[in-house]
Amino acid sequence: MTALYVLDVPENTTVAKVAAESGATVGKVGPYFEITADGPIVIDRRATGCRHAVWYSCVAGVADGKIVQHDKNALQVDPA
Amino acid sequence: MALEHKVRGVDHAAFPTFDPAGTVRFYRDVLGFPVVHSICAAGWGPENHPDFIHFFFDIGNDDRLAFFYYFGLEPQHTQQRGDVYAGFGPEVPEFFVRSRHLAIHVDDEADLLEYRRRLDVSEWPVEMQIQHETIESIYTHDPNGYMVEFTRAMRPVTPQEDLDANLTIDALIDVVTAPDPSFGKLLARKAELIVERADWEAAQV
Repeated sequence: MTALYVLDVPENTTVAKVAAESGATVGKVGPYFEITADGPIVIDRRATGCRHAVWYSCVAGVADGKIVQHDKNALQVDPA
Repeated sequence: MALEHKVRGVDHAAFPTFDPAGTVRFYRDVLGFPVVHSICAAGWGPENHPDFIHFFFDIGNDDRLAFFYYFGLEPQHTQQRGDVYAGFGPEVPEFFVRSRHLAIHVDDEADLLEYRRRLDVSEWPVEMQIQHETIESIYTHDPNGYMVEFTRAMRPVTPQEDLDANLTIDALIDVVTAPDPSFGKLLARKAELIVERADWEAAQV
């Protein structure tokens, strides 16, 4: 199970929302969103509405996975 | 057990200048920072120390920005990039040259725009205005080439961000004290720390 952690602050809430709409499971661990999936986690940047500074600093942690894309279009975490 | 935190901000940060007239124009006349202290000192010591003026501007909060002007001292490097203290050749990437800077805090957007207005009518107009993660900043370079930023918080920092910062630093130290540090390793280590600690630390904030 791949897990992506995102701190729950106002700028990041749409990241978790878009992840959930894309089929990932979104829970909470302490003050973090825990976004999990059996396969790849893909989040469309434009759907999040995040400005670039927020987008490129929204990832707090990645467990059992690897970021294979993090650019102006999308963030994708594949299983390790 | 945290050590008691007793310091009270910046007393002064000091920089050399070869252009005291421009420096006073920029900080006192354009920005409106009062001159609050100055020392006229005859050179002394074993190194042929030049005579110098050490002068201070109030940057708010009783904190001060200070300059040294040394009579008769020639510039100490001939590089085209950087500032009068540190010069860089064409091989040095721009992000590195721009990494060292002074950021001065203002209360709100109105004050940020007021300093933008003062700079934009001067010889040193604002070069960029950027909304970062949670702060908004304007930037220019002073007459000595030092990068100066004015910044305002777009919202208060929350307790969970302080917690996250501490997890980042613990993960960073673990990663940089092991071979081949990378961003991917930091995020993996931080995920471990989040799972280990986030619950009980969150309960404390």
